[in-house]
Amino acid sequence: MMPEKQAETKPTAKYRSQFRIYVDIMSVIQRESNEAKPTRILYGANLSHDRLVKYLEELKTLGVIQESGTEDKIYSLTQKGIEFMNNFRRVESFASAFGFRI
Amino acid sequence: MEFIAFVIAIAIANQALRGYKMSKEKTLLYLNLSFVLIGAGLLVDALASIIVFLAGARRGFLYPFAIGYTINFLAQVIAYGLLVYAYVHQARGISEGPVLIAAMPFLFFERNAFTELILIFLLVYIATQTGINYSINKGTNSMLVFGAFVSLSLAHVFFLIFTIAPIFYPFAHIAQLCGFLLLLAMLLRVNQSS
Repeated sequence: MMPEKQAETKPTAKYRSQFRIYVDIMSVIQRESNEAKPTRILYGANLSHDRLVKYLEELKTLGVIQESGTEDKIYSLTQKGIEFMNNFRRVESFASAFGFRI
Repeated sequence: MEFIAFVIAIAIANQALRGYKMSKEKTLLYLNLSFVLIGAGLLVDALASIIVFLAGARRGFLYPFAIGYTINFLAQVIAYGLLVYAYVHQARGISEGPVLIAAMPFLFFERNAFTELILIFLLVYIATQTGINYSINKGTNSMLVFGAFVSLSLAHVFFLIFTIAPIFYPFAHIAQLCGFLLLLAMLLRVNQSS
């Protein structure tokens, strides 16, 4: 469902996986009533500016977020992104019931 | 009863596989493999029981029953061993090597009280882990999973006592079914939410 790229990353206890960062960014956007400015995402997802720009580009390429606005950029989830987040919440809830973190 | 448990086990395995495909989280893959094994074991045991029943439990026809039980037993030991490994893996982040080494010795056990005790030990460990998880997050789904593994542990305690007192056989099956029904309730709740 989510990118094939994520298979390359090996999640550890110390570092967030690429998948987890994608989810964190999308969660911030969803929390902000589906209209989030880059600074909000930056603080909410706890990312550096460079990494944020990189991940936002990747998410746009995947078609799960979209950019609007000319001077002040605003990011929102696409329908595909909303569906992905709904599926993710289900999986998270399922894993959490067994005590597993994803 | 075992057919119902089989269907629930496969449904849990399917949900875990979907989660693994999405997140590539290995603990979900272990969960998937565990429930596939549990489901396969239950199916083989149920089919063997049907064969024995249809044959009228004649002498010589009890052999498939023993084979079915042994396959089910080994599948469960490996499955619960995998789940224990998943909890240890998550807690300590150990490498993948030990899982096969840990599972191998069980393959050579035969059906007896000692091997049944191994199964109870594994289930009590899993029940403890899910109990700790429930005490931390207090969620209904966690409670259902905890209840399921307590029920499955009880089922195997009854299976153990059954070797001495046959009256416990139906209790064991009822406890096993309760465990799987609790897992089904959790699965339905997860899919209803969001």
